[in-house]
Amino acid sequence: MSNDPIHDTQDPYEPELGSFDNVEEQSGDAVNKTGTTTVGIATEDGVVIGTDRRASLGGRFVSNKNVQKVEQIHPTGALTLVGSVGGAQSFIRTLRSEANLYESRRGEPMSIHALATLAGNFARGGPFIAINPILGGVDEDGSHVYSIDPAGGVMEDDYTVTGSGMQLAHGALEGEYDEELSIEEATTLAARAVQAATERDTGSGNGFVTATITEDGVEIEKYDDVTELL
Amino acid sequence: MQGNQQQAYDRGITIFSPDGRLYQVEYAREAVKRGSASLGIRTADGVVLAADRQTRSPLIEEESIEKIHEVDEHVGIASAGHVADARQLVDFARRQAQVEQLRYDEQIGIETLAKRTTDHIQQYTQTGGARPFGVALLLGGVENGEPRLFEADPSGTPYEWKAVAIGGGREDIQEHLEEEYDPEMDLAGGITLALEALAAADEDIEPDNVHLATVDTETERFETLSTAQLEEYAAEADIGGDDDE
Repeated sequence: MSNDPIHDTQDPYEPELGSFDNVEEQSGDAVNKTGTTTVGIATEDGVVIGTDRRASLGGRFVSNKNVQKVEQIHPTGALTLVGSVGGAQSFIRTLRSEANLYESRRGEPMSIHALATLAGNFARGGPFIAINPILGGVDEDGSHVYSIDPAGGVMEDDYTVTGSGMQLAHGALEGEYDEELSIEEATTLAARAVQAATERDTGSGNGFVTATITEDGVEIEKYDDVTELL
Repeated sequence: MQGNQQQAYDRGITIFSPDGRLYQVEYAREAVKRGSASLGIRTADGVVLAADRQTRSPLIEEESIEKIHEVDEHVGIASAGHVADARQLVDFARRQAQVEQLRYDEQIGIETLAKRTTDHIQQYTQTGGARPFGVALLLGGVENGEPRLFEADPSGTPYEWKAVAIGGGREDIQEHLEEEYDPEMDLAGGITLALEALAAADEDIEPDNVHLATVDTETERFETLSTAQLEEYAAEADIGGDDDE
């Protein structure tokens, strides 16, 4: 049946464009990893995502000091790069094209829950080994933050952290989150969390990037030093 | 001579006639007209799908005549034409509804489902070795709290309707719907109109010959009405039952 174009329906776990055939991906020291601390915080008015800017080889050598680790993938949604840089970049391109196709076919954007489900399916079945991104977005139902784990686990929360600095950042966030936070307050809180990780995690550092997601869209800003926001 | 010329262009479905027609697709539309009628009505608070299930013999089990199918809990399909072809398309639609759940963890929208199904039908007008589906479908359901009603014909073109009939006697039913349709009517009004419209094409229709299902905007659930329920509506609208009294 698979050679018959008439019966060729979409595999629900695979992207419509491109394929998952070459699942093997190189691993080891030669792969650039983001190391990384990425934070997502949901508030009434929108979602704030904060990340550092360092890429490293296993946290032992800084291979790039100017990485933008959060990318828009949806009119009101953004995803962070965490883990293998190649896997994360490919994951972002795949999700972005899927979200674009969905919207152009149906005349309305995907809900953030649908986007998170799709991301989980791809993470689970795909070649994007060792990625652990945060998905943040705003839709009809409000603000959402999801973490996507390498095995395809999808968990929604009010705030979440992924990356090598996650324990340090969580320490700074814990007890400080309040659903009444304004966007500005959430940005400061995200900066404080990334700052804590920057100080002690060798995989995180070299500044700060924010993505502010509201119902109007996604705005990304870069800071050379995270302390600019504190 | 005319006949021979036409024959040359209706052998393969993928061949256009010189005047730009696909005869096999047109013949498939004729097959739809040979089936008993189905109709759909969109009301302010839900969609009604109804079908005339004519029986060849009093000995047949009426339940086995399938004209209206649940696709997912919020959407159903009514068909006219070849029932066996309809079953294939209904199963395709059911699978698409579940693919949407697997892929996005969401209920499929009625428009999306209708267009997926018509895209599938279209492939059978353009692929060698296949024949078009000899059936037309009405897809009715609720999407984001809004009732939606689509028609799929054998060419694979999707149409959205407020109220529409397909199959044999279509003209009479459609005429009745066009005269009596009121966009403000409630679901009960839609059920009554459905029975009246079917009666407009077939005077002898009885409630137990009608298969009728609704999708209510409030519950967003596909529900089939029992014969007893239909008899109440029919009695109010003064349809059928006269012979017994």
